[in-house]
Amino acid sequence: MPRQVLEDTLTADSIAADTALAASGDPSAFERLYRSHVARVHTLVRRMLDADEADDVTQDVFIRAWQKLSTFRGESAFGTWLHRLAVNVVLARRKRVGVERGRFLTEDGPLDGVTGRRETPELSLDFEEALARLPAGARQVFVLHDVEGYRHDEIARMLGVVPGTSKSQLHHARMALRRHLDR
Amino acid sequence: MNDQWTNRLSEYLDGELDNEERVALEAHLATCGSCYATLAELRQVVARAQSLADSSPSTDLWPDIRARLTPSRRAAVDRPDRLVRRRFSLTVGQLLAASIVLALLSAGGMWIGLRSTKPTVTANQNVTSPPPDYTLASAGRWRTSTDAAVTELEEALARNQGQLDTATVRVLRQNLAVIDRAIAQAQRALKRDPGSNYLNLHLANTMRQKIELLRRANALAAGQS
Repeated sequence: MPRQVLEDTLTADSIAADTALAASGDPSAFERLYRSHVARVHTLVRRMLDADEADDVTQDVFIRAWQKLSTFRGESAFGTWLHRLAVNVVLARRKRVGVERGRFLTEDGPLDGVTGRRETPELSLDFEEALARLPAGARQVFVLHDVEGYRHDEIARMLGVVPGTSKSQLHHARMALRRHLDR
Repeated sequence: MNDQWTNRLSEYLDGELDNEERVALEAHLATCGSCYATLAELRQVVARAQSLADSSPSTDLWPDIRARLTPSRRAAVDRPDRLVRRRFSLTVGQLLAASIVLALLSAGGMWIGLRSTKPTVTANQNVTSPPPDYTLASAGRWRTSTDAAVTELEEALARNQGQLDTATVRVLRQNLAVIDRAIAQAQRALKRDPGSNYLNLHLANTMRQKIELLRRANALAAGQS
């Protein structure tokens, strides 16, 4: 067995064992799961929301995971389950604060602030910074589609919009971000 | 660069155009350098998105998470009715208002309390009147039972705070810290002037504020707003 495959198998077995232990109430096992997944969750949350919310919401995701672990059936990898849970927590958060629909774009205007900086090199943004400056709706769709790999119909269901809106938001986001490709 | 095809480039890139549209757009791309260049940039954006790296938070979040893991989780899981409980949070406005009120309560109360260390009982009684049945002896008994209630409520909150938002828990802790400081200040002042009716009453009121806040937090956590 190739070394990488062996390591992946051992890692998967280890995570499966820790998931079972955590589901039975073992905080140490849950800490190991936290350590191995926190970067992925925190990055997703930071990209989907404002950076200053990321720590709090990441905590909420793991506490929610702890509370719901007994419902995890092992039909998907723990990481996949946790990722979906994180997306749900993020979307619930946006919905609760009432900004979800309000920030969806119907025109290009709000993206001008992102695109307009290209002419000023000293103020130029790197890709992640430009992504963070996108309006919430365009940013969410871009992260879910291009970074996380969700389809438009899935995104539309999650965000409560029609697929056409998701496609339009994605195009707006890409058009804005192409000006901030690493040079 | 804003012809009829520009807004369809992402759909083309994602393979979401029907065959007829795709053929037409490809014919357009063969003659439009601007759209061709834009398409190449969009392709790079998609590739860049797929290569973005994850990064860990700048601070270790585990200690706070660990503190909120409820040991009785399995018991809750065994009772399906508790699984569907909603998670409650206070609004930012409510929390800020609570902070301001508590800060004013603490600062104002202590300002008056420190003045009360002078032997001016009459002036203190003018600030706030003790209840009709209030005596120093009853204050001592009340404080004992209050301490027990606070302990019980704090334990309950420690078990239930997993139901609250992290932001709510943080502001709740800040508010409790404000109240605890007010209690500590009142207790210090009482050591200097144990017979002060005002200070005893102020301490009782502050303890009552704490109990009320703890009760409210527990009710929110339990979904009994």
